[in-house]
Amino acid sequence: MPENDKQGLSVVTCTAPVNIAVIKYWGKRDEDLILPINSSLSVTLHQDQLKTTTTVACSRNFQQDRIWLNGKEEDINNPRLQSCLQEIRRFSRKRRNTGDSTSDASSVSHKVHICSVNNFPTAAGLASSASGYACLVYTLSQLFGVESEQLSAVARQGSGSACRSLYGGFVQWKLGTQLDGKDSLAEQVESESYWPELRVLILVVSAEQKSVGSTSGMHTSVETSQLLKYRADVVVPSRMEEMIRVIRERDFPAFGELTMKDSNQFHAICLDTYPPIFYLNNMSHRIISLVHRYNQYYGETRVAYTFDAGPNAVIYTLQDHLPEFVQVVRHFFPPEVNGEEFVKGLTVCSADLSEELKRDINMEPTPKGIRYIISTKVKH
Amino acid sequence: MTDFCKLVNMPENDKQGLSVVTCTAPVNIAVIKYWGKRDEDLILPINSSLSVTLHQDQLKTTTTVACSRNFQQDRIWLNGKEEDINNPRLQSCLQEIRRFSRKRRNTGDSTSDASSVSHKVHICSVNNFPTAAGLASSASGYACLVYTLSQLFGVESEQLSAVARQGSGSACRSLYGGFVQWKLGTQLDGKDSLAEQVESESYWPELRVLILVVSAEQKSVGSTSGMHTSVETSQLLKYRADVVVPSRMEEMIRVIRERDFPAFGELTMKDSNQFHAICLDTYPPIFYLNNMSHRIISLVHRYNQYYGETRVAYTFDAGPNAVIYTLQDHLPEFVQVVRHFFPPEVNGEEFVKGLTVCSADLSEELKRDINMEPTPKGIRYIISTKAGPGPCVVKDPNHHLLGADGLPKKSAISH
Repeated sequence: MPENDKQGLSVVTCTAPVNIAVIKYWGKRDEDLILPINSSLSVTLHQDQLKTTTTVACSRNFQQDRIWLNGKEEDINNPRLQSCLQEIRRFSRKRRNTGDSTSDASSVSHKVHICSVNNFPTAAGLASSASGYACLVYTLSQLFGVESEQLSAVARQGSGSACRSLYGGFVQWKLGTQLDGKDSLAEQVESESYWPELRVLILVVSAEQKSVGSTSGMHTSVETSQLLKYRADVVVPSRMEEMIRVIRERDFPAFGELTMKDSNQFHAICLDTYPPIFYLNNMSHRIISLVHRYNQYYGETRVAYTFDAGPNAVIYTLQDHLPEFVQVVRHFFPPEVNGEEFVKGLTVCSADLSEELKRDINMEPTPKGIRYIISTKVKH
Repeated sequence: MTDFCKLVNMPENDKQGLSVVTCTAPVNIAVIKYWGKRDEDLILPINSSLSVTLHQDQLKTTTTVACSRNFQQDRIWLNGKEEDINNPRLQSCLQEIRRFSRKRRNTGDSTSDASSVSHKVHICSVNNFPTAAGLASSASGYACLVYTLSQLFGVESEQLSAVARQGSGSACRSLYGGFVQWKLGTQLDGKDSLAEQVESESYWPELRVLILVVSAEQKSVGSTSGMHTSVETSQLLKYRADVVVPSRMEEMIRVIRERDFPAFGELTMKDSNQFHAICLDTYPPIFYLNNMSHRIISLVHRYNQYYGETRVAYTFDAGPNAVIYTLQDHLPEFVQVVRHFFPPEVNGEEFVKGLTVCSADLSEELKRDINMEPTPKGIRYIISTKAGPGPCVVKDPNHHLLGADGLPKKSAISH
């Protein structure tokens, strides 16, 4: 129960994770309800390294809803925010009316003050709308006493991929068939403890020009890409089945290959959009090249990349390969000397690279191409 | 009349029984792309394609073929260097041409020297554009070879499509001028997978072409292996070939016949992008577009957006060079725009080669609206050209690349 004090102030604070899709969501069939054209699947990352923290306070003395994001007051009338607030209040009222409530009966009509921060920099280009909306919705639900099963739909209306951040481990967001979107929900495929050897690296690339935003980008793709419908109707359904299977079998080479293929296909759709959208830049290409050459050297998929709507790479690998691959990245993307800490997050053991490996990869090093790395794992 | 023309076009014969023919053939740039084969030996494509043949004054391959009973073996020189005659594609072309020639002789329908086809040939070929420019020369090269051999051995032009195709798929489109389609065909033996002219080069005289030669970078994946990997691994490619391209081919033919530049331009850009999308959907992914290509694409879209219509269109093949299509009215301004946003080397080589382009001023408003940082020396130079005719015979014997001894003349070296 939220804290109450004499002023009738209730306060709740929660944290929520970031998730990285391995089968990508790109394109809506309903812009208002935020219903996707295909299902998607993601890995939820550990909050020790990446999280959004949100405090919501509710009081009869508040004049209006207000929101502060990363220290700056933002416009509460943002349609997505309004969507979430209205939906949560609607669920809360419904719950009260059915008599199934232990919350303070007056909370839901009171105004709220929301304050949210990320423990990762916005400039890092890590999409924070998923963790942000998931956290907001979860925190509001704690405040107003809304059942967790209903949160998927509310989070989804803030930001599609936010519904996947409501669960840990491996999460799918099912496309759904109903027009009202009631069956377009996220659910856990396997928990985070299912595959403890899986590790994640985020390679934060040097900042460049602003990309096309996801919402307008995917809208243009739906409108103009002739390949997208085929992806959504034919390719993704079979990839979802395959991805769930390879995760359950803990088959890393298959998981890695499918992850890379889906990342590439997403970016292919962006290129088939008119005008074309380029999220991968020169540095992204080099990272992709490095991963393929590294895997080729060992004759197996040990490392996999995936890229969202920006140049940062997310690398999946197994903990056994982590020290060597981080050293490979350090070698081919030598960081600033006396710059900030290159590897943040979970500790990575040092490793030596054989001359043969370096020679075989055969790439020119790109100094300062990667600003830093965040080492993390699957969230519990 | 036909027999007289054949007589006039007969290769020169001299006392040593040396026959020599020289021909030139053009480069073509696809607007609906070929990428992927359904038969690797016969070089049959998974979809039809359509191209614009460029003018030989700016880009061409010149090939001389000499034939003599005194030659010991077939030999070939490309851009001044002797190459391996046993290259399977070359052998394909030679064998096919000889087969057609023998067939023709056997049916008694021949005016050529009956002994030519069993004699060995010396082939010498040069391009008037540098290989380092990254302009694919296999199309013009094989088209020229096949055309020249057909002149020497007296093979009908209708059969050349299939022969050229087996040297290099897109070479069959270089056998015609203007706007050319290479029909996919349905037969397994590929006899109906042929090129044909859609409209001649004089049909749309306002259409102009710019080749933006980008600074050289690392070597890309070759087309043959690249398209093979795409067929093997891209799930989107089959859909493109079976569903998207057939309707785009119809549309492209229609918009060319209607001389509808905005529609032509938009479709050209979309197909270029989809080709590169397929490359990205390949495993491992293939990147032909580099940072400079992206900037050029961006520039074109912003330029068109400023005017609220498609005035300029880009297309990219398996490399970073851009081919720009536009109408002659827009040419001076767009070239100036390129010069402004990709300022060339001061005191460097001539920036605009080929057909003359008038100068033009750019309004401050246009520059401001495009709103891109200039990229100095991002483009090495531009070749200004237009649509042009198909292959032809060079009558002047001074232009033969091979001497009376059947060896390359000293002047027969590339740029």
